Amino acid sequence: MKYAFYPGCSNHSMAKDYDDSTKAICKVLDVELFEIPDWNCCGSIDAVYSFKPLYSIALAARNLAITEKMQMDLVTPCSACYFTLNRTNKILREDAGTKSKVNEALANLGFNYNVSVRVWHLADIILSDIVLQKIKEKVKNQLTKFKIASYYGCYLVRPPEICNFDDPEHPTHLDELVETLGASKIDYYGKTRCCGASLGMTNEELALKMSKDILLSAKNSGANCLATACHLCHLNLDARQKDIESRFNIKINLPVLYFTQIIGLALGIELKQLGLQRNWVSPKEI
Amino acid sequence: MRARKLSNEKEQLVTEAKAIQIGVPKESMRDFIKEVMKMPGGEKILECIQCGSCAGGCPTIFAMDYSPMQIIKMINLGMKEKVLSSSTIWVCSLCYTCATRCPRNVDFPTLMMSLRNKAIRENLVNNCAKSNFHRYFFEVINKYGRMHVPELFVKLLDITNFNSLLRNVRLGLRLFKTGKLQLRAPKIETSWVSSMLEKTDQE
Repeated sequence: MKYAFYPGCSNHSMAKDYDDSTKAICKVLDVELFEIPDWNCCGSIDAVYSFKPLYSIALAARNLAITEKMQMDLVTPCSACYFTLNRTNKILREDAGTKSKVNEALANLGFNYNVSVRVWHLADIILSDIVLQKIKEKVKNQLTKFKIASYYGCYLVRPPEICNFDDPEHPTHLDELVETLGASKIDYYGKTRCCGASLGMTNEELALKMSKDILLSAKNSGANCLATACHLCHLNLDARQKDIESRFNIKINLPVLYFTQIIGLALGIELKQLGLQRNWVSPKEI
Repeated sequence: MRARKLSNEKEQLVTEAKAIQIGVPKESMRDFIKEVMKMPGGEKILECIQCGSCAGGCPTIFAMDYSPMQIIKMINLGMKEKVLSSSTIWVCSLCYTCATRCPRNVDFPTLMMSLRNKAIRENLVNNCAKSNFHRYFFEVINKYGRMHVPELFVKLLDITNFNSLLRNVRLGLRLFKTGKLQLRAPKIETSWVSSMLEKTDQE
């Protein structure tokens, strides 16, 4: 299977572990990813969009136009980019006025976008029947010690007309994956609760509280590990976990892993290739 | 004290609403409704039935001055300044829980983004930290074509308070230690940025 790969800005900086583990497992699972040449920012969910809406749409459309020339479906590991690119597709499909304005802007750069690119989340691809079957065949280590709480966050499942990875209120795809790998799944309240990442830089108190609720509800339900599919959630739940602990005077110590890292562990890929040394809350204990 | 303050505010809301109902509504108030209906996300605000699903599922409602359903009602009553200077439009974390659950398909988060844009343009911003963050984010993207985290961190220094500044610095150090802070700026061709901005910057 061949896909155009849109890593998103975070994969090259804050989420190197995600990038490493994605590439490592895709190699084993025969999913070929071709990075989109000269890609740019996806336009962001709100930061650029609230400031200059049309510019933000045009930024996303540039990436999509490059992908259109590659004649492949687009895959992104970032939930936020997944949302933005799909939103852009939807706007351009429904609003002819915006489409012509955006294409006018793209014409200067030598592009014309016909809204034909399909955008997938990496989890869509990995959890499709064919790849999941392959995972089942290639599992080397059963992860029996893992009690995994799958955390979906916002943009993987919401809004359903743009991001339809799974049911918006009670998604279960990642839980199925968890059981496939021999780990036990944990049902908990915070599954699709927002972690507050979009407020992390400006209204930190609020973001810390929101993340705390998720971590505690997972921990109290008996999880010893959290699986996520989004950079921003990972940043808030893992790198900020120390801040949450000191702010609220509690002990959490719950490792947060990307779902690709968990698959990698089951496939017996080397820890270093999965970027596990980059996690702040170390998963060594499990 | 807080309860009293709230009830005063509510009284004021009721008086304003009544004033509109008895026919004092100025054209300018109706203009605001029409304007909002043209914004992305505002198409369906007149269809709101005030059921409260949005407010019930909202994860940040405790930090808002008006709940999502109140904001919609206020828009329908034409209370432009109150809406645009509320903290609600900046506190919304855009998680789309409300839009998913709304029985009348009101796209509240998209509306919030449109209102932020309007508040910035009309200089009615209540929470300048967040609106400045938007500008800085935009500037970084404009310069490099991609996000460059260290530069955004530095730009943000002047809008954060002391506590979160300390935390952000520690967060930066942590990211640096785990090798997740890319100090080198992203290098892509960015000559197209200015022409694209020119073409799309009509509003």
